[in-house]
Amino acid sequence: MITHSWNSIKLVFRQGTFVPLLASAIAGGAIITPVVIVLWRSLTTGKLGFSVGLTLTNYVRVFGDRDILPMLGNSMVYAGGAAALGTGLGALLAWIVARTNTPGKTLVELMPLYPILMPPIMKNIAWILLLAPRSGILNNMLQQFFGIEAQPFNAFSMAGMIWVFGLACVPLGYLFLLPVFLSFDPSLEESAYIAGSKPANTMLKITFPLAIPALFSAFVLNFLRGLRSFETPVLQGVPGNIKVFVSRVYDSMALEFNSGLATAYSIVLVALSVVVLLVYVRATRFSERYATITGKGYRVKVIDIGPWKYVTFLTVFLYFLAGIAIPFVVLIVVSMIPYFDYDTFMKFPSNMVFTNYVTVLKHPSFITGLYNSLVLSTTIAVVTVLAGIVMAFTIYRTRAYGTKLFEFIGTLPLAFPPLVLSVGLVIVFLGTPLYNSLWALGLGLFVAYFPYAFRNASGSIVNIHKELDEAAWVHGAKWRHVFFKITLPILKPAVGGALFYIFIEAIRNVDVAVLLTSPGKEYGPVTLFEYFRVGQWAEAAAGGVIYLIILIIAVSVAKFAFKMKFSL
Amino acid sequence: MSKIRGKILTIAAAAILLAGYSGQAAEKSVKETKAGEKVVPKAAATNATANAAKAFEKVSKELYPKAQQEGNLIVYSVWDVEHLRIITDAFMKRYPGIKANYWQGTNPNIVTRVLTEFQGGQASFDVVLSDNAPPVLRAAGAIAPYDTVQKSVLLLYDPTMPTVSLQVQALTYNTKKLKAGDVPKSWEEVANPKYKGLVALDDPMRAGPISSMLAGLKEQWKNDARFTNFVKGLKALNVPVHKSTSAMFRLVISGEYSICMPALLHDVMEEKEKGTPVEYVKSVPPVLFPRQAGIYIKAPNPNAGKLFAEWLISMEGQETIDKIGRESSRIDFKSKTSVESAFGKNTKPVPVSDKGFLEDPKKWLDTYVKPIWEG
Repeated sequence: MITHSWNSIKLVFRQGTFVPLLASAIAGGAIITPVVIVLWRSLTTGKLGFSVGLTLTNYVRVFGDRDILPMLGNSMVYAGGAAALGTGLGALLAWIVARTNTPGKTLVELMPLYPILMPPIMKNIAWILLLAPRSGILNNMLQQFFGIEAQPFNAFSMAGMIWVFGLACVPLGYLFLLPVFLSFDPSLEESAYIAGSKPANTMLKITFPLAIPALFSAFVLNFLRGLRSFETPVLQGVPGNIKVFVSRVYDSMALEFNSGLATAYSIVLVALSVVVLLVYVRATRFSERYATITGKGYRVKVIDIGPWKYVTFLTVFLYFLAGIAIPFVVLIVVSMIPYFDYDTFMKFPSNMVFTNYVTVLKHPSFITGLYNSLVLSTTIAVVTVLAGIVMAFTIYRTRAYGTKLFEFIGTLPLAFPPLVLSVGLVIVFLGTPLYNSLWALGLGLFVAYFPYAFRNASGSIVNIHKELDEAAWVHGAKWRHVFFKITLPILKPAVGGALFYIFIEAIRNVDVAVLLTSPGKEYGPVTLFEYFRVGQWAEAAAGGVIYLIILIIAVSVAKFAFKMKFSL
Repeated sequence: MSKIRGKILTIAAAAILLAGYSGQAAEKSVKETKAGEKVVPKAAATNATANAAKAFEKVSKELYPKAQQEGNLIVYSVWDVEHLRIITDAFMKRYPGIKANYWQGTNPNIVTRVLTEFQGGQASFDVVLSDNAPPVLRAAGAIAPYDTVQKSVLLLYDPTMPTVSLQVQALTYNTKKLKAGDVPKSWEEVANPKYKGLVALDDPMRAGPISSMLAGLKEQWKNDARFTNFVKGLKALNVPVHKSTSAMFRLVISGEYSICMPALLHDVMEEKEKGTPVEYVKSVPPVLFPRQAGIYIKAPNPNAGKLFAEWLISMEGQETIDKIGRESSRIDFKSKTSVESAFGKNTKPVPVSDKGFLEDPKKWLDTYVKPIWEG
């Protein structure tokens, strides 16, 4: 063991990999500090303001809670179902866009992209308006036009929850898988076709198994997001009497103001995350198996899928409809009618009003908040993605001893509900000049989104065969040569996707930002998306529509005017 | 006199809050009708108004120079940002030289942030302006007691935190879904099995509006059997409970449910103005919950904080509060959302004044509601 460690240290200095190692340690430190603080709080007796000594009381309460198991069961079904739907559909879309000759290339590339811009909570509200049993648009339409009284759609059911959150999980699956399919050596698929395999068969038996690390990465992230997600369970689960585990965490904060108890409950999520991560690490331990980019060189080849191309076009189009077009239209109408019920909705546009837009545009923090959020989100996206790649590189490409620990640290923030995590961040910054500054908010967003950048980079790095790096190491290359000349250029598609995803997530973040914003330092989404939480759906819809239009314009300008690629 | 005072105190508040028409000037002039309601004669109310105005002018003159020297005011609040902007702008206009700023969050966010800052010794803000948060913060020792000089005109009075507005709960229904003749005539009647499936019910265990209603009714009824039956009746409706009153209210407007148990009066008024098909039952007494301005114990600008609280209670401040659609906390302020004009002159509201509930809602609910609700 000692010899192994010593050899490892020598190698680190010879290759110069102490630089990424140090960078990873700094990033890891930034992440682990608030996490350790909240964990410490879980071992104190009580509420904020009443902290007295160390105790296991919170844990005794958590593990003595008889409601835990049924709630956890619901959480697993909900998070697992949504992650499977979202990741699966995302992967399918990525494959269609990257590898098939589906007609309307530009349209097909754009259609999966735009739904990403729609914040999940906007999707929640729109789908509630569409699928609510008695007041929902679809059930009422079925009754009005077809005389069907049965109310087959129900937003307030487990299926409704999985559908809506599943749609919100698609972008992550899509952005994680797209770079993998784009940098895929198609020789294996070609062999299958030569042997007479059908496209669907080839996809299921050759293509997707090779994308397992990225697929699994996206699934793990979506699953963990589902476990801690709060909006869908509150807006759709609660009215349907479906209780999920995370509501216990929020009750601890909202009812008892006990962040220690909330953290103790979160430990259950952490334990689950560890299990999922262990499975992931075990499943990808022979990562060479999944490497599709080798030293032999590769070329992306579009596969002719024959008449199936119309089916794939339809699939992308249907996703576009469900992912953004239908909910967006519903929200636009809702933002322009005096109030929502089915009759009023159907009278549109004769009852059109613009008062909600006036209200939102007069919002005190709209302009400054939007500016702050644009600047901060862009910066955070760049820094986080770069740090994520460096950490993934450190784990998978340096042979430094103990780097697997970063695997755990890098994913840890995802196991904590954002409100719990932000308490830790507030404590870290209290008393420092950073407190009440935009820097603190930036660091908070970095910690919150690091797992996405890291897992995205991990999934992609695993797909690059080590022989490329090894050739460089053998020739005496230092880490910077390997990192900047080999790894980073190959990861370019993944970098674009991750930048885009983190930017979009950060610009609408409420949970982490809410405790880290300060008087005079406005952050647009915090106040704007609070409209959704407080039930001002019309104003929220108007605000959401304005935000969405700004993002659509920004993305379109970036894509067409500056030729930026979002993994496309 | 002591009998009258005793009755007033009984209605008004348990330990901290004195519901009803309190303050010494008003206290002396309260008369009891045959029905037992407390009313303030016009002359007495006028006196109280004049006295409060004088007291406000005096305290304003005392505090303003000190506050001006401090130069800043930082408010933490649950209120909408648009509302906070209007209020702070009006305050800055009235008191030049004081720069007011604010941070907005939900009640749990406010409590979490304040207590974390309090523990960390951070002198970060001056006033917390909210409903549920101030009593919890006071119980944790984060609030410096401040007794307003305008107490004689307050509907709900607390000697440690000025009540600047009221949260008024009203029994509300969708007029397209329920005829006026079919609506429940009391809070208790909502528990009638005939309303099964029609009621959007706030979660009694989440310390939201219905939890405070239960605390208020328990205090007012002083009848455990009646209270137990009511909670059991609500449970027997077997309807899902909601975590957000506002989101629940939206579902009532959309027609998903017919009855909102409960809705907030200012939301209902705002929607009615838009022509939304909702109406509240005027004969059902409203539940009143105080919205207070608590002065932070480590406030960097305590005088500005006190001046802000006093100004909010003054007629000028109340007009600003009324302008943003929130309910006045004064007995002598007439507006469409004041209890008298919204519910009628002889309405006997249900004040939420149980100190146990206000300061530790979770403990109170675990003691009095959970055994019935989950039993």
